[in-house]
Amino acid sequence: MTNGVSVSTLPRPGSRVWLLMLPLLVWVATFVIAPTVLLFIYSFCQRDELGQVVFTFTADNYSRLFEAGMWMVFARSIIYAGATTFLCILVGYPVAYFIGRSPSTQRQILLMLVMVPFWSSFVVRAYAWCTILSDGGLLNGFLASLKIIAEPLNLLYTPTAVMLGLLYTYLPFMILPIYGSVEKLDTSMIEASMDLYASPWQTYWRVILPLTWPGVTAGILLVFVPAIGMFAVTDLLGGARVPLLGNVIQNQFVQARNWPFGSALGIVMLVMFLATYLLCSRRGVPSSN
Amino acid sequence: MKWISCLAVCLLLIASCDKGAKSITLLAWSEYVPQKVIDGFEKETGIKVHYDAIDNNEALVQKLLSGASKYDVIQPSEYIIEQLAKLNKLAVLDHSKLPNLKNIGSQYMDMPHDRGNKYSVPYMTGTVGIVVNTEKVKEPIHGYRDLFHPKYTKRIVVLNDAREMVSWALNCLGLDVNEINPRSLAKAKPILADWVRLIRVYDSDSPKTSLSNGDCDLGVVWSGEAAKLWEENQKFVYVLPEEGTHMFVDSLAIPVDAPDVDAAHQFINYCLRPEISKLISDEFPYTNPNLQARKLLSQKQLDNPASYPKGEAKLGTFRDIGKASSDVDALITNLKSQG
Repeated sequence: MTNGVSVSTLPRPGSRVWLLMLPLLVWVATFVIAPTVLLFIYSFCQRDELGQVVFTFTADNYSRLFEAGMWMVFARSIIYAGATTFLCILVGYPVAYFIGRSPSTQRQILLMLVMVPFWSSFVVRAYAWCTILSDGGLLNGFLASLKIIAEPLNLLYTPTAVMLGLLYTYLPFMILPIYGSVEKLDTSMIEASMDLYASPWQTYWRVILPLTWPGVTAGILLVFVPAIGMFAVTDLLGGARVPLLGNVIQNQFVQARNWPFGSALGIVMLVMFLATYLLCSRRGVPSSN
Repeated sequence: MKWISCLAVCLLLIASCDKGAKSITLLAWSEYVPQKVIDGFEKETGIKVHYDAIDNNEALVQKLLSGASKYDVIQPSEYIIEQLAKLNKLAVLDHSKLPNLKNIGSQYMDMPHDRGNKYSVPYMTGTVGIVVNTEKVKEPIHGYRDLFHPKYTKRIVVLNDAREMVSWALNCLGLDVNEINPRSLAKAKPILADWVRLIRVYDSDSPKTSLSNGDCDLGVVWSGEAAKLWEENQKFVYVLPEEGTHMFVDSLAIPVDAPDVDAAHQFINYCLRPEISKLISDEFPYTNPNLQARKLLSQKQLDNPASYPKGEAKLGTFRDIGKASSDVDALITNLKSQG
């Protein structure tokens, strides 16, 4: 792996390297660190009558997090996002594996098909789902014409519709990182495993999955946290009936005009992200032990 | 090289345009000022209109206060005018520059939120009421109590607006919708908790959609939406709730730091002209407070029960409730998340 050159003999990065890094550092400072610090400060502030932030210290925004209603919001958000992540892995892994192992000419086309949905606006696609799922919509019409159902199924504005919408939205974010790992998968490892009389299942569980696990963890990070913060799907497909964390945050910044409370919720999301990240990076490969 | 020269020409064009012509910036609801009105004003006065669109009153306040850009004319509803005026964010109107103000009906002038119309002129008014799909719902519906009945479970769409919802419950209790305090909210809570279980969709942007495609049979919506449904199919009947309901007054006002106060007055006065105000009614069938414009409307427009409801109803405007707005929001969020 080291190609005969030990790390210590490589020239150490000089001060000029930092110059190259400068754009990145400035970017991170302006767009990541500064807003986060601001969010943190706001979360301890109050609001005035017009909803402007007043810099008077209060911990109320955090104590409000422990109200019963908020716990329901957190619990439900985690359940929805967790289920979305699980379904994305279930559906996305085989797809990513298939694409990654197919001949390179087909691969480009298949990859493009995964990304095609991004070519149109997300809101337009959400409305398209409304058209498909509504009581007099395409799906119900199709099933009725085949005489499979007599009464239209109640699909739109249900948790099922929300789950479907979330799965649809985040699936590409699971497929792409897993594909990345599958593509780099060394075929000789699989051959070696087969040569050593491992069953296909054993090969998968002990060789393929551990080698592609980094892709899965990246996928989890890309799906789980954004799914918690999603509000458009629950509004459009769920009829805004059940608020998830994203909806509550959005509401604080628009209708309720309570930025400090919204900031406190934002900090909670940040903590959730860190927790997910630590969990993913610590656990490593599930079957390596 | 070609594209650089192209870009340069474009920039020059933009620069030359901006230098000569006067312009005003309008901060208004999306789809509320018809393009025809803007084109007509630009053509007549040579003043260019930039239209910055918002979707709700709260976004308007936010954009205005952020100070990122200056606006000449804004379009807040009644309780927002009161709030902005209290905080000295609005310019006092010069009525001598608004001769067309005389066209507004006296019942829409001098209202509690802006005595003497010091800061605002009514643009369009409307009500919040109940739409009934009479093909699906045969029983008569007179008010919120009839509507929020277990037999209509998951057939109801309502505005996704916490303050509105709380006001309906307060109306049912016979309480003042502008007296928001822990006591009145505690009384409203059990009623709202029952309602939340019956509602299928919350939608403020286009509540008519779920009614017109049949996902819901009953709704509590803006009267303009109801009027469009009635135009589409007369099975959609509009009912003003007998318990009383909200009459909103969407208005035009000038921020205190408006760059061009004269041009702003000019624009407001233009919108108050009967023939211009009629154009607004044609596209957005709310209740036109401009009585001279009403004379120009067709009989069909005037017969639309959602735009011009007949009969007596207890109508009330909203007043500024200050910080209580976040209590109202917390109440509804809690109920929704437990429901």
